[in-house]
Amino acid sequence: MGKPARNSAGFPKNRKERCRKMDLFVQTLVNGILIGGIFITIAVGFSLAFGVMDIIDFAVGEWVMLGAFTAFWFNHFLHIDPLLLLPLVILLFGLIGYLFQPVLQKVINIKHRSAALMALAFTFGLSTFFRGSALTLWGFNNRNLVTFLSEKSVTIFGVTLPALRVGATLFALIVTVLFMVFLYKTKTGMAIRAAAENRAVAGLMGIDSHRLARLVYALYAGLTGMSGIFIGSIFSVFPEMGVRYTAFAFFVVVAGGLGSFSGAIAAGLLLGMIASFVTVYLGGAYVFLILFFVLYLILLFFPKGILGKGW
Amino acid sequence: MQLKFNRGPQLVLLFCFFLVLCLVPFFISSFWLRIATGVFMWIGLALSWNMIGGYMGYISFGHGAFFGVGAYITGLLMSHLNVPFFPAMLAAGLFTYLFAALIGYPTLRLSGAYFAIGTWAFAEMMRQLVLVLKVTGGPYGLRLPAFLNETFFYFLMLGLALLVFLFSYLVFEKSNFGLKVKAVREEETAAQTLGLDTVWIKIQVFALSALFPGIIGGAYAYWITYIHPDSVLGPLIADQMVIMVLLGGIGTLLGPTIGAIVLYIGNRILWVAWGDSSVYLVILGVAICLVILFLPEGLISLGRAKKFRPGGRHFGRAPAGEIARNKARAQGGS
Amino acid sequence: MLKKPPLIKISLITAIVFVLTAVLAGCGAGAKGQKEAGEARDYFKVGVITSLSGPEVYGGNVTRRGYDLWAETVNAKGGIKIGDKSYQVKLVYADDQSDPTAGADAVQRMITSEKVDFILGPYTSGVTMAVAPILEKYKIPMITGSAESPLIWKQKFKYTFGTIPAVDLTGSSPISTLAKDVQPAPKSIAIIGVNDPFSKAVADAFKAAAEKEGIQVVKYDIVPAGTDFTPLISAIKGLAPDILAVGGHEKEHMEVVKACKSLGFMPKVFLMHYGITTPDFIKNLGKDSDFVMGAAVWTPDVNYKDELFGSTKDYVQLSKNRWGSTPDYTEAACSATGEIFAAALAKIGATPPLSEEERDKLVQALEEIQVDTFYGPIKFATEGNWYHNNTGLKPLTIQLMNGEQVIVGPKDVRAKDPVYPVPPLSAR
Repeated sequence: MGKPARNSAGFPKNRKERCRKMDLFVQTLVNGILIGGIFITIAVGFSLAFGVMDIIDFAVGEWVMLGAFTAFWFNHFLHIDPLLLLPLVILLFGLIGYLFQPVLQKVINIKHRSAALMALAFTFGLSTFFRGSALTLWGFNNRNLVTFLSEKSVTIFGVTLPALRVGATLFALIVTVLFMVFLYKTKTGMAIRAAAENRAVAGLMGIDSHRLARLVYALYAGLTGMSGIFIGSIFSVFPEMGVRYTAFAFFVVVAGGLGSFSGAIAAGLLLGMIASFVTVYLGGAYVFLILFFVLYLILLFFPKGILGKGW
Repeated sequence: MQLKFNRGPQLVLLFCFFLVLCLVPFFISSFWLRIATGVFMWIGLALSWNMIGGYMGYISFGHGAFFGVGAYITGLLMSHLNVPFFPAMLAAGLFTYLFAALIGYPTLRLSGAYFAIGTWAFAEMMRQLVLVLKVTGGPYGLRLPAFLNETFFYFLMLGLALLVFLFSYLVFEKSNFGLKVKAVREEETAAQTLGLDTVWIKIQVFALSALFPGIIGGAYAYWITYIHPDSVLGPLIADQMVIMVLLGGIGTLLGPTIGAIVLYIGNRILWVAWGDSSVYLVILGVAICLVILFLPEGLISLGRAKKFRPGGRHFGRAPAGEIARNKARAQGGS
Repeated sequence: MLKKPPLIKISLITAIVFVLTAVLAGCGAGAKGQKEAGEARDYFKVGVITSLSGPEVYGGNVTRRGYDLWAETVNAKGGIKIGDKSYQVKLVYADDQSDPTAGADAVQRMITSEKVDFILGPYTSGVTMAVAPILEKYKIPMITGSAESPLIWKQKFKYTFGTIPAVDLTGSSPISTLAKDVQPAPKSIAIIGVNDPFSKAVADAFKAAAEKEGIQVVKYDIVPAGTDFTPLISAIKGLAPDILAVGGHEKEHMEVVKACKSLGFMPKVFLMHYGITTPDFIKNLGKDSDFVMGAAVWTPDVNYKDELFGSTKDYVQLSKNRWGSTPDYTEAACSATGEIFAAALAKIGATPPLSEEERDKLVQALEEIQVDTFYGPIKFATEGNWYHNNTGLKPLTIQLMNGEQVIVGPKDVRAKDPVYPVPPLSAR
């Protein structure tokens, strides 16, 4: 690793060096928050689906991939800025999710001693299908999604803020807050929370849990597809891109506690921080090693998530 | 309801069956021999996973790690210390057994989805560890001395698969230990109240279900001769074990066997037929979805009458009939 | 009340399944075997093993284009001429799924079921390593038109050859161009490598070359595939190196350039290998891809001639017409790989199907062969650390300018002077 080899002159140069170190520290902190923001964008919908439907959806990364591709094709043919497509994608994927959920529900309702596992395997098949279709239809090329925020940045006090990442983080936070308002202030939201806590009792109280599950899945698909636009424009768009985001989504949701939004935000930020600090101060080779080690420890010691708020 | 049967024909049948398996390598081309070898390997792996996932109801996504660790231990012993293959493979199995016991102690406190994700995180951790270690060759992977005798590997994998099959049959289907394990699956708290040392049982099963993948991993490393963290420690290994067991029928002896055969051969046939495009991924995905939608008990349910009246949608809850049956057996057995 | 699992039933069903499998397998193999071995083919059957799915699917298809173009061109001209007769070429594909195991299965199928005469090799170095021992056993020659990892050649596989010189031969070229041919000479370099066998070899090659030329290595980091480059770039930004060198594939290079731009960091030059010459890199980054430096052994601008494609220029035009984009050096190497086989076959006068003896002769011919192709002169080393690797090509330093690959080094062959320091990304 690099050692700054300018120590001979003593204090004054050291001060400059220290200043640089301070800048790097703050920049690393900010990077951590912004990486966390990306994690959160995928995790919000996933957390909800996980909590309400008891489903570990293996295809979450594939929804991200499909969202990114949808934006890419609209951008390609109609030249609409991908960020303006956010509402369209959420509607489109929400609709797909709404129409598709009954199939998944059928799997969950199968009278089988490990129905949740069957659902998991089903989504694994689904993710293989999506990935294969994307590869077959759209080929193997890497694509780039350019938005009006792309590669712009603002520098404040020596710290650089990439505009697109800031946008993604803000977006994640806004969506999360909207969601919490929806869950805690509206009647439907209350019903969803009730169904998540105990479906049988909620059913007795006259809550149609099937309709709710459908709604939740629609929201989940819409939000995840939408996060694909951000992820596709920050990184790149290709059919095999989904796998790593499936891993991150699991990560954030479990570390935050199933179904807990504040937990998901905290976990997303924590993981972003770890990624950022480990890369800068320990070396990029160890990022995933330490990330997964931390996740493992969190599971062992805080199975309800780092804020202890999971269901 | 029990049919009386004669031991004689049964033994003859078993013998014939074994004979057929032993004669197979002399009749098929070496490509299909290779596929058959792969099938046996996956039967062994699926049955190992079935020990913990099927009989004990703990869904592990980390068993790929034990496969990979076994492969790497064998590889390291053979290429760095010049240990012969069989001792190296057995050492790998022993190591994964102890290693799993150690890991199992904290991990088995989790259950359900948490256990699934905990084991998965652990497996990813192992992959990343091997990638940064110097001794394993890191991203360069590891090359073993090549021994290219397809027939040898066919018999090796066949032997290992039979071993796991018999072991599962004797330990999980036939013994008191198997009943205790099933008791943990049905109602862990109740089993505890009855005086079973559930912690010990769970660790035992976890370690046993890691022992065989460790050995098979060693055999695989010697067979393929080149191992890389992404190929032996990747998440796909564990995913495939789970899918094979579910496809065939979880918690049975034949289910995982059939699942492994069908998925592995199906995958390879699709791949041979459409090898120059990615369409086979589409077909594979659709096939998995269809089986789960229409044959939730696995392919094995095609071959038997519907006896189950299952209920419940959570991990590890069993049909009432089976619980009663197991209770009866537990009382009868002890 | 004890209910025993009916062992007889279990073994019966298992037996049936196994027997069915065996019969099915046997039939399949038998049918194929009879058809292929029984008749004398009048065409060459060529196996192509490459990554048609999985993480390396992009590169796999680059190689496939190269192999396809060779086969199509040869067939359009009547085939490979052996003696007085010409033989058509038929390519058979197998997907290695970017995975060594599937690659090993694939090559076994190629050899035993398809009975191919020779093999055009995989895209990734990892699959090449898994496939090579099997080729030794069956004595089937293979030339890979893509793999660049020096590890392969150290194993001294008798039946495996490689068209592209290993990266430890080529990677040093851009570093020495930068150290010797630009003013002021760069003093420091930061090196990032992705943790696959090939990319790490690239990073190692960069590091060794930089140390040799006296350029200070301020950061050397091997990162996992799929990592987020932003934190790393931030750390590197603080170290302000003159060169940022990356060992990886086009996807990682794109992400590094994007991360640099979004963090407002600009080294005096980017040095990246492999993938900057692929059409995707240039198309996706547009102006941002300009002035990126890399290593290559071939560019569309070199000028060589051969009988099949005519000149390098003709080849490039043909490829553009066929695939709609300018070929890069891997694609071209794959096309050249076919030519090498054709030349060796013509030399020994072997006709399809090749017997084992003829295949051994073919290997011998390949060891002795010296062909001039549109790709340049080809000659395989027969000893040393680069055993069976084509070391005859001169490593070039290239720099992208207006979306074109321009040779900027070594000095005696360069088409233009290298641009250094390059204009910042924000001012283009």
